Amino acid sequence: MIRTNASLLTLTTAMTTMTATAQLRPIAFTEFDLPNGLHVILHEDHSTPIVAVSVMYHVGSKDEDPKRRGFAHFFEHLLFEGSENIGRGEFARYVEKAGGVLNANTNGDRTYYYEVLPSNQLELGLWLESERMLHARVDNKGIETQREVVKEERRQRYENQPYGGILLEVLDRAYTKHPYKWPTIGFMEDLNAASEADYQRFYKTFYVPNNAVLVVAGDIHAGKAKELVSAYFGGIPKGGEVPRTKVVEPPMKAEVRDVVYDRIQLPAVVMAYRIPAYGTKDFYAVDMLNRLLSNGNSSRLNTEVKDKQQKALFVGSFSLPFEHPGLAIAFGIANMGVAPDSLEQAMDAVIRRTREEVISEAELAKLKAQVETEFVTGNSRLEGIAESLASARTFLGATERMNDELDQYLSVTAQDLQRVAKEYFVPTNRVVLHYLPMSQKKN
Amino acid sequence: MRTTNMTSPATRALAIAGALLIPALMNAQVDRSKAPAPGPAPAVNVGGHDTFLLPNGMRVIVVENHKLPLVGVQVRFDIDPVLQGDKAGYQDLMGELLASGTVRRTKQRIDEQVDALGATLSTSNDGLYASSLKKNFPKLMELVQEVVKFASFPDDEFQKARTRMQSAVRTRVDDPDQIADAVARALIYGKSHPYGEVVTEESLAKVERGHVIAYYQRFFRPEKGYIVFVGDIGREEARVMCEQYFGAWKGAEIASTTENGVEVVQGLGPIVVGGSVPRPDPERLVCFVDRPGSAQSVIKFCSAVPLRPNAPDAMPAQVMNTILGGGVFNARLMQNLREDKAYTYGAYSSLSPDRRIGSWTGGCSVRNAVTDSAVAQIILEMKRMQEEPVTDAELALAKSYMAGSFARSLEDPGTLARFALNTYLNELKPDHYATYLQRLDTIGTDAVQQAAMRYLRPDNCFVLVVGDKAEVANKLAGYSLMNAVVFYDVDGDLYKEEFEPAPPGLTAKDVVEAHVRAIGGRSAIAAVKDMERSYAATVQGMEVVLTEHHKAPDSYALDMRMGPMTLQKLVYAGGRGYRQDMEGRVELNDIELADARESSHPFPEAHYAELDYEMLLGGIVTIDGKRTYRVQFNKENGVFTEYYDVETGLKVRRSEPEETAQGRIEVVTDYSDYREVGGVKVPYAIRQNAGMDMRFTATDIKVNQGVDASLFRLD
Repeated sequence: MIRTNASLLTLTTAMTTMTATAQLRPIAFTEFDLPNGLHVILHEDHSTPIVAVSVMYHVGSKDEDPKRRGFAHFFEHLLFEGSENIGRGEFARYVEKAGGVLNANTNGDRTYYYEVLPSNQLELGLWLESERMLHARVDNKGIETQREVVKEERRQRYENQPYGGILLEVLDRAYTKHPYKWPTIGFMEDLNAASEADYQRFYKTFYVPNNAVLVVAGDIHAGKAKELVSAYFGGIPKGGEVPRTKVVEPPMKAEVRDVVYDRIQLPAVVMAYRIPAYGTKDFYAVDMLNRLLSNGNSSRLNTEVKDKQQKALFVGSFSLPFEHPGLAIAFGIANMGVAPDSLEQAMDAVIRRTREEVISEAELAKLKAQVETEFVTGNSRLEGIAESLASARTFLGATERMNDELDQYLSVTAQDLQRVAKEYFVPTNRVVLHYLPMSQKKN
Repeated sequence: MRTTNMTSPATRALAIAGALLIPALMNAQVDRSKAPAPGPAPAVNVGGHDTFLLPNGMRVIVVENHKLPLVGVQVRFDIDPVLQGDKAGYQDLMGELLASGTVRRTKQRIDEQVDALGATLSTSNDGLYASSLKKNFPKLMELVQEVVKFASFPDDEFQKARTRMQSAVRTRVDDPDQIADAVARALIYGKSHPYGEVVTEESLAKVERGHVIAYYQRFFRPEKGYIVFVGDIGREEARVMCEQYFGAWKGAEIASTTENGVEVVQGLGPIVVGGSVPRPDPERLVCFVDRPGSAQSVIKFCSAVPLRPNAPDAMPAQVMNTILGGGVFNARLMQNLREDKAYTYGAYSSLSPDRRIGSWTGGCSVRNAVTDSAVAQIILEMKRMQEEPVTDAELALAKSYMAGSFARSLEDPGTLARFALNTYLNELKPDHYATYLQRLDTIGTDAVQQAAMRYLRPDNCFVLVVGDKAEVANKLAGYSLMNAVVFYDVDGDLYKEEFEPAPPGLTAKDVVEAHVRAIGGRSAIAAVKDMERSYAATVQGMEVVLTEHHKAPDSYALDMRMGPMTLQKLVYAGGRGYRQDMEGRVELNDIELADARESSHPFPEAHYAELDYEMLLGGIVTIDGKRTYRVQFNKENGVFTEYYDVETGLKVRRSEPEETAQGRIEVVTDYSDYREVGGVKVPYAIRQNAGMDMRFTATDIKVNQGVDASLFRLD
């Protein structure tokens, strides 16, 4: 909403910390289903007098009509417009008047709304989210305004930022038919075409209790919270069966290579490898491999490419944890005077080594120490815990998997790392982009 | 084995209760028509901290919190802002390099050890922050103390970091937000103040390793140091560590002298603290940084404000800014520019107190077409804060929001550490944070309005815009109280057009003659006795047709119409003329007559000499990928600039300032698609930008076909 997260790139950091949140001490929760199919998770923590109320709808840009790319995110904006009982603009006013904050974000797989409120305002949060689920309403002024706001969001985040278009360019080439091909922010022409009928259909199909997870976390009493949740959400009618995209992206057979020109001074090199879906065994191994490459100053890309060879101003590598097979993206911005080919060779050599050699026990232990700290740190805020709980339920099939995710990482072996490197981090399974300054474009 | 006795009274009672209970929950009547009332407000407890001094003067602060097995430590030095001058960047480099080697360990070794502990360690020019799981913290602390006390700044690491920073500076020109930040600082503080200095590739080239070391040794000293622990650690544990590692630390020996009351450090030079007081803000001034091709304009209103963190009105000032644009969605800027006008994804303002000189900034990123409208709305909102009191509802919302943010911030134990450190650094009252909520509660609308009068400067601020000059700059002059836009470069210096020198010996006259030759030569031009040309453009969906008639030696008529309606008409003959627009007919004044005299020539370039224009050849600049000669013309009543293609000789652009109701604007006219008609070449495409982009295409051009003399009648 205010800082809607339609970007997949920013999502990665969010999602790795958020889903990767098992802990030394597990997060305690209780959960239940309402008869209308709404899954509810409660987490009690009285250390600060605040409460987080959040709803994760299992709908993202991959569920869109290919002629309405960007609709899921646009829709997220519209769902702040009001409801049968909440006038235009009042949604945020109720929350802020109560001393709370609210926001939402959308990605390829889900749309997530939350409020963090003083704990005596729990009921307000439940009322707002149940109004949004039961009978959201948007008028014409709202639709037209948000259409322009989303266009400004696209300009601000992607078009007017150096290297801002990288992810869009990568996705477009990494997928041939799967809807991950288009960015969550969508396209202006599709947003222009979106109509009242689209709005109604999308709401009825996806914004139903049986397609949502409600999390209430913080300074609450589970018994009372359960009563209130039932009172506010129990009467919302169950929706029909939620359709899921059945498009399966065929495996890549050959490297895709391209050049993109942008308003930049220093070239960048991007290598995107297809990887397995989030939650699979190999996903965790690939994610560890990315940490080996770029987590911390002693990581391999940082030591070799940035430090020793001084070819990059910045270099990094991260995985996109998608519900369907995603991507691992290695990205470097060249130092002054370094040609993109030279940067690519240096990055490629580092990645090649992960295929050719098994990593040492010491290096594996380092990765495990890093991931352990990350898990503990990731659970320091209620807002993060609420999102992790909702994600585990939505994408890992069971809330308790949040608490064994650290084990998934810690059980990755040195041999696993080499195996996934050989399987996924190979030239025939990747897109390579050279991002070059506009001035180098030959007409 | 037990069997369930369905008739047992206890079971029956449970079953009945259950049957009642579940439907009761499902059918609980909630009144959806209005927001539920809150429960009793929970108490917000602001926790405390432990603190003690080490014998060498370092202050230790401990905030104990055992919720998670994590410990964080911050070592921070209270460093005065020092002017860096022509070697701007050495302070940032010191921060970047702090953990790049010690007398005992290489950078590689430090990096490996930090990562092996699963820890984080980040450094800056006033200290460092490190954190890890509790079990690894003692080893991390060993590294931390070594980095703080014995950083060695190895030469090879210095060279590498400087190259990286130079590369990073180069990428700054790509990022409109970074440009806006740097230029705004330069504008409001001035470049002779440490807050206004801009690091450049050139200034980094002047930095030597010795500067970095001297700065570190001079300012990393125990008497100005703080060690702050947060998390799963007790006071005693912290005390033992601090005494062991820092108790006997004295800091480096410094060779410094005092000259004219200014300290001069060997290897670094004079330590100018604070720099000059920022100049008083000028009358509102629009400053523009050109970023061609921008999809949006970044608008940043900014001014320096005398607001210290411990000022009595610091809190009403923050309430005021919250209502205007400080983070809440219901703030006026957000509601007006996003929710009502849909100009932007988000509009914000920010008020930053500082021990020396604070700042206020406000703005947003907007599409090119609404840049001027957005500027107007921001001015309006700033003035509205001053002219009328805020409503009680707005005040209540802002206060609730701030109280809520305060309570939420306490979720992070690091907040208490920040409070403690701020209290010392900013000389706050010891109960500053403990009384925060109480003090917030007492603020009224009058205090908010007073703060708006004091800290907002709608008529005395800089309006910085980073965007596409050709698309938006001209529309902004009217918002400058001096009616002009001032152009700056990305480093915050006044913009100077960069050009390569023209070949030696070449003169402006040669360049203009080359154009005359390229369009057909003087004899072909002289053979043109009359000419009629029409161009059409589409403006806001309507067709505009511009027609010019020329008849030798000195008759000229211009007619611009939209459909049947004449927008403008101008007739000139034999040294006299008039113009007519929607408001009626006016005789041309001297300035207009001079311009009309030039226009009366179908090919004025062939007549520049007789028009007494002084011509100056500037050099070669690139326009749309073409190298062109830039020629400046001084005429009796002003100046204009033209650009001639180096390769073809043809004129490609004329740029001329014009006074308008919106202020002084630059009218830029581009000529292309030259085609031959009757022996001379005429541009078939003309693009003119005077605040609005108009693209004219020739529809009809006739040479020596006879022109009706009645067109030039002056009666």
